Amino acid sequence: METINSNAAYRRKGPAFYLKIYLKIVAQDIKSKMSYRTDFFISTIGMITTNIAGFIAFLIMFGKFPSINGWEYYEILFLYGFSLISITPTQCLLDNNWSLRRYVYDGDFVKYCFRPINLWFYYVSEVFDVKGLGQLAFGTGTLVYAWIKLALPVSLILILKTVVALVTASLFMMALQNAAAASCFWIQNSFWLLDISLKMKDYAKYPVTIFNDVFKFIFTFIIPVAFMAYYPSLAILRPDNVPVLTYLSPFLGILAFYGSYKLWMKGAGKYDGSGS
Amino acid sequence: MESIIKLSNVSKEFKILNRHEGLAGSIRDLFSRDYKIVRAVDNISLDVAQGEIVGFLGPNGAGKSTTIKMMTGVLEPSNGELIINNRIPYKDRTKNSQEIGVVFGQRSQLWWALPLVESFKLLKDIYQISDKDYNDMLELYGSMIDLEPLLHKPVRQMSLGQRTLSDILAAFLHNPKVVFLDEPTIGLDVAMKSKIREMILGLNQKKNTTVILTTHDMGDVDALCHRIVIIDKGRMLYDNDIEHLKKFFGAYRTLKIRLREDTEEAAVKLTKELSDLDIAISNDDTWISILVNEEKTRVIKVLERIQETHSVRDMQLEEISTEDVIKKIYEGGTGFGK
Amino acid sequence: MVNKLKKYFALTRLGVLETLQWRIALCVMVLGNLLYLTLIFFLWKAIFASAGTDVVNGMTFEMTMVYLVLATSLYGVVELYLVWEIGRNIQSGKIVLDLLRPFKYKQYVFWENSGSLLVNFLFTFLPTFIVVRLMTKGTIPLGINLIYFLLAFVFSIIINYNIDFIVGTICLYTESIWGINIMKQMLVSLLSGATIPLAFFPDRVAAVVKYLPFRAIYDTPLTLLMEADPDWHTVVSKLGFSLFWVIAISLFSNLFWRLSIKQVTVNGG
Repeated sequence: METINSNAAYRRKGPAFYLKIYLKIVAQDIKSKMSYRTDFFISTIGMITTNIAGFIAFLIMFGKFPSINGWEYYEILFLYGFSLISITPTQCLLDNNWSLRRYVYDGDFVKYCFRPINLWFYYVSEVFDVKGLGQLAFGTGTLVYAWIKLALPVSLILILKTVVALVTASLFMMALQNAAAASCFWIQNSFWLLDISLKMKDYAKYPVTIFNDVFKFIFTFIIPVAFMAYYPSLAILRPDNVPVLTYLSPFLGILAFYGSYKLWMKGAGKYDGSGS
Repeated sequence: MESIIKLSNVSKEFKILNRHEGLAGSIRDLFSRDYKIVRAVDNISLDVAQGEIVGFLGPNGAGKSTTIKMMTGVLEPSNGELIINNRIPYKDRTKNSQEIGVVFGQRSQLWWALPLVESFKLLKDIYQISDKDYNDMLELYGSMIDLEPLLHKPVRQMSLGQRTLSDILAAFLHNPKVVFLDEPTIGLDVAMKSKIREMILGLNQKKNTTVILTTHDMGDVDALCHRIVIIDKGRMLYDNDIEHLKKFFGAYRTLKIRLREDTEEAAVKLTKELSDLDIAISNDDTWISILVNEEKTRVIKVLERIQETHSVRDMQLEEISTEDVIKKIYEGGTGFGK
Repeated sequence: MVNKLKKYFALTRLGVLETLQWRIALCVMVLGNLLYLTLIFFLWKAIFASAGTDVVNGMTFEMTMVYLVLATSLYGVVELYLVWEIGRNIQSGKIVLDLLRPFKYKQYVFWENSGSLLVNFLFTFLPTFIVVRLMTKGTIPLGINLIYFLLAFVFSIIINYNIDFIVGTICLYTESIWGINIMKQMLVSLLSGATIPLAFFPDRVAAVVKYLPFRAIYDTPLTLLMEADPDWHTVVSKLGFSLFWVIAISLFSNLFWRLSIKQVTVNGG
C-alpha cells in the first residue's frame, strides 16, 4: 500500500500530463462560465464594442491619408489585424494574471502554493477567457481583408510564415503581460504596469519606423513592442527586404517568454503569504 | 516511531518597512529605506511522528501560520533545518505538495463555480490518484458523512460549514502523509464543529495521517489533540501532552458559581470586591468562573468572601480547563517555559 | 454646514494618504504616461508628415500634441475606475455596510475617491500643464481661459462621475462588471475626444457626437483652455451645454439609483 502510493507520487509530469490537466480545467471553466450566462453575453458584447470602437478610431486617424511614413493604408490595416490576433493567447490564456495583484495583496495567493504541479501553470490555468475568441475572429477578418486588398498571394509557404510570425508576436505579448503581472510580487500595485502593457499592445500595431532612433532602440530592445507585430510581419509585407531581427524574432520570442516565466516564478518564490 | 516532521532550531525573519504617520510621513515613505527586521519564528525545534495530531496554539501573530508556511514549502526558513517526509520542503515544493494536504483558513482551494465532485476529479488528475484509491477514499468519506448531496453542489452555493468540510475532504483526498489545518472550525456552529472534529479524528485513525492543526478553539484541542505546542512571539513555550500541562497547573481549581442576581453585573462587582485576592474572574451567560491557585488562596476562603455579600444559588468545583491553562500561559508570569 | 463639509474632507484626507501609500506605483504611473505620450507624439508626427500640410482639420501639429498631452493627463485625473469599485461592492455585499453609513452612498463613493482625484490633479495634471506651457510658450494662453477651464473641469468631473455611477448601478442587475466597464471606457474615451480630438472626426459622426454628454468631459475643458479670448457666445454655449448635462445626468443617475436600490431591497438581493 505504502509503496504503490509513493510510486504514484514520483510519476513524471511531462507535457502530456499538463495538456491533459489544462484541457480538463478549461472544460470545467467554460462549463462554469455558462452558469453565468448574462455575464458571458454582456462580456462578449463588451468585447465586440471595444473592437468596433477601436476600429472606428483607426479609421478616423488613418482613413484620410493614403500612406503613413511609407506604409500604405492596407499595410497598416494588416498590422492592425495581425496585432489583434496575436493578443488572443494573452487574452485567453493569461487572463488570471489580472487578478494576481489582488490575490497577493489579500494573502489569498497562498492557496495556489500547495499543489504538486507547476505553480505558474496552476495559477493561469484557473481562468480561460472565452471572449478573447471574439477578438480572434475580428482580427482574422481584418487580416484577411487587408490580405486581399494588398493582393498578397495565397500560398502555403506564406500562410506558414504568417502563422510563425503570429506565434512569435503572441510570445512577446504574453511575455510582457506576464512580466508586468509578476511585478506585483515586488511592488504593491502592479495595476499600472499591467495597464501600460495593455497600452503597449495598442501601439504595437504601428510600424516602428515612425520613431526616432532612440525610441526605435527602446521599443525594440527594452520594451519589445516592435516584435509584437512589426518585425514578424515584415516577412510577409516586405519579403524583399527582411532584417535580421525578423529572422531572430521567433527565438527571441521564446527567450522573452521564458524570461517572463522565470521572473514570475522568482516573484512567487519571494512571496511570503502574509499579504501586504 | 519514525518522525515525519523534524524542525531543528528554525527561525524566520521578515524585513518590514517602517511607515511614518500623517501626510508628511507618507511622502517620506515614498523614498524611505528604513526597514526593521522582525523575527516571526524564533529558534523552534519540533519532532512529530507519523499519525500524531498536534495542536498549534498561540495568540494571533505568534508565528503559527509562518511555521506552517515553512513546513508546506511556501516560505524558506532564515535559519535552521526543516525536514518533512525526508525532504526539504522549500527546495522541493512540488514533490512535498504531493504528500501533504493543506486547508488554510477560510480560503477555499476548490474551484468556486463547480460542483464539489468536479473539483475532486481535477484533484484526482493533479495528484495522479489511481481509480481504485480514489473510489476507496470516496467510499470511506461516504461511510463517515452524508456525501452525496455535498458532491453535486457548486462550492459557491455551500454554507461556510459545508465549504470547510469540503476543503478538508479535498485535503485528505490524495491520502497525504501530513495534513495541515489552519483554524478549521473558525466561525462554525456547534453541530458543524463537532462534525468536522469527528471527521478529522476518523481520517487520522483510518489513514494514520499526521495532522497539524492551529486553532483558538479549546474544543478542538480537547477533542483532537494528544499533544500541543504553544508558540508566543515566535518562541516555543510548550511542547507536550495536554494532561502534563494540566498537572503543572494542578494547584489551580475553577470555582463556578451561580448567584441570585444578574450574572454580568455580579461578575463586575465581584471583580472589584475580591481585588485583593490573586484570582481571575470570568463569566458566561449563567456561570461565573473563578480561577483559584490553591497554593496561594484557599477556595473555601473565596467562597466565604462571596457569601458575605452575595447569595449563592449553585456551585461547582472543577479542575482547571484547557482554556484557562492556555490563558494563563499567554499571560505569562507563571514561570512557565523557562 | 461647516461640520458637514469637515466630515467629507476627512474622507478626502484619508484618500490622499492612501494614494500616497502606493510608493513605487506612483512612479510607475508617471513613467507609463510618459511612454504613452512618446508613442502618441511620434504617431501624430507621422500622420502630419504624411498629410503634407501644416494644418490638418484646423489644428497644427503643436496644437494637436498639446491637446492630446493634456487630454491624457486629464484622463489620469478623472478616470478613477469607480465602476469596478461600485460593482465589486455590490457583488461582495459590502454595499450593505456602506448604505448604513451616515452618508448618501453616491456622495460617499465620490468623496472617498476625491482624495486620489486631488492627488492626481496636483501630481499629474498640474506638472504636465506647467511643462507643456514652458515647452510650447504660446500655445496655452494664461488669462480668463483658466477660469473657464476650471469651471468646465468641475462639470467634467461631475458628468464623468455620474456616468460611472450609472454604469456602476447597472451592476445591481448583472454580474458582468468587466463587460459593462470595458464598453463604458471605450465609448467614453472615443466619443469624448480623449484619444482623438473631435476636430478630426468626419462631419457626419461629429454632428451626432456634438450633442452627447461625453464631449463635456475632455473636449470642452481642453478647447476652452487652449483658446486665448473666446467670444462670449462660444463660452456660454459650451459651458451652458456642460451645465445642462450636469443637471440632466445627475437627476437621471439619482433617479436610476433610487429605483434600482428599491428593487434590490424589495428582492432582498
